[in-house]
Amino acid sequence: MTHPFLFLQWLVEKLKFGYTPEQLADYGYFNHVTYAWATMAILILAGFLASRRLQKHPEGLQNFMEVVLEQIERLIGETMGAKGRAYFPMIATLALFILVSNLIALVPGFMPPTANLNTNAALALSVFVMTHAIGLKEHGLSYIKQFTGPIWWLVPLMLPIEIIGHLARPLSLTLRLFGNMYGHEIVLMIFLSLAPVLVPIPMMLMGILVAFIQAFVFTLLSMIYFAGALEEAH
Amino acid sequence: MAEDRRQLYKSLGFLSSLGISMVAATIIGLAMGYYLDRWLETSPWLTMLFLGFGIAAGFRNLFVLTNRELKRQQREEEKNDAGS
Repeated sequence: MTHPFLFLQWLVEKLKFGYTPEQLADYGYFNHVTYAWATMAILILAGFLASRRLQKHPEGLQNFMEVVLEQIERLIGETMGAKGRAYFPMIATLALFILVSNLIALVPGFMPPTANLNTNAALALSVFVMTHAIGLKEHGLSYIKQFTGPIWWLVPLMLPIEIIGHLARPLSLTLRLFGNMYGHEIVLMIFLSLAPVLVPIPMMLMGILVAFIQAFVFTLLSMIYFAGALEEAH
Repeated sequence: MAEDRRQLYKSLGFLSSLGISMVAATIIGLAMGYYLDRWLETSPWLTMLFLGFGIAAGFRNLFVLTNRELKRQQREEEKNDAGS
């Protein structure tokens, strides 16, 4: 199911940028990359505008951004404790990036980069690598104890179970976000092709809910994984 | 009321995500067993063994995630009670 109109693709096809016709024909495969860049541009612009003139009594955009970041920080405090504050930049980036890329779907001519497996796999793998980096940094080599369980003769049983459990995390993070966003995209496209006026609006309302819930779930789960790595081995 | 609604959405999001984390672990276990069997030519033993490991890992994931989320909610409720 393809989009009837994608703004960035149209722009590139008009301006050409010196691409050959074959390259332009293949351009549609990389829409998720360009829209991820668009999301980054929006976030960087918002961050720049909010921090350009910092005031003691925040107003407007600065106030809004501060409220958003305070909410994320509160959630980190609840889930990970005081030690988790160090990982605030990564978690806030994940949360804002996923939220904005989910919400971008509601703008006509834009598609969410999270409706593609590759973007989600990149996000989930960075969480996976970061989890184990945190574990190794906090506990050193005794981090391995987290994988072997409490009783030594149960190690051959516990080790594969733990490894499979850890490998399942990026897979489930990827598939959950992808399934929700792609499903929403397809439903919207079908409704648009059947009855373009008014009918897709309830679906778009649901899309707002899905976007917020999925961004929250991804962030919450990465926080839970980080917290698990921060904790002492059992 | 608004606080209740917020909690409801949080729990909704969290609980709706639990199913897939179980399925993912089972699939990873099955895939590992299947490819190990193809590599070592011991079909079907490793597939079955790793499928078992995968299912166990799925249940363990469920247990760990739910445990953490419950604790988080309890802490939040305690904080709300203390604040009001």
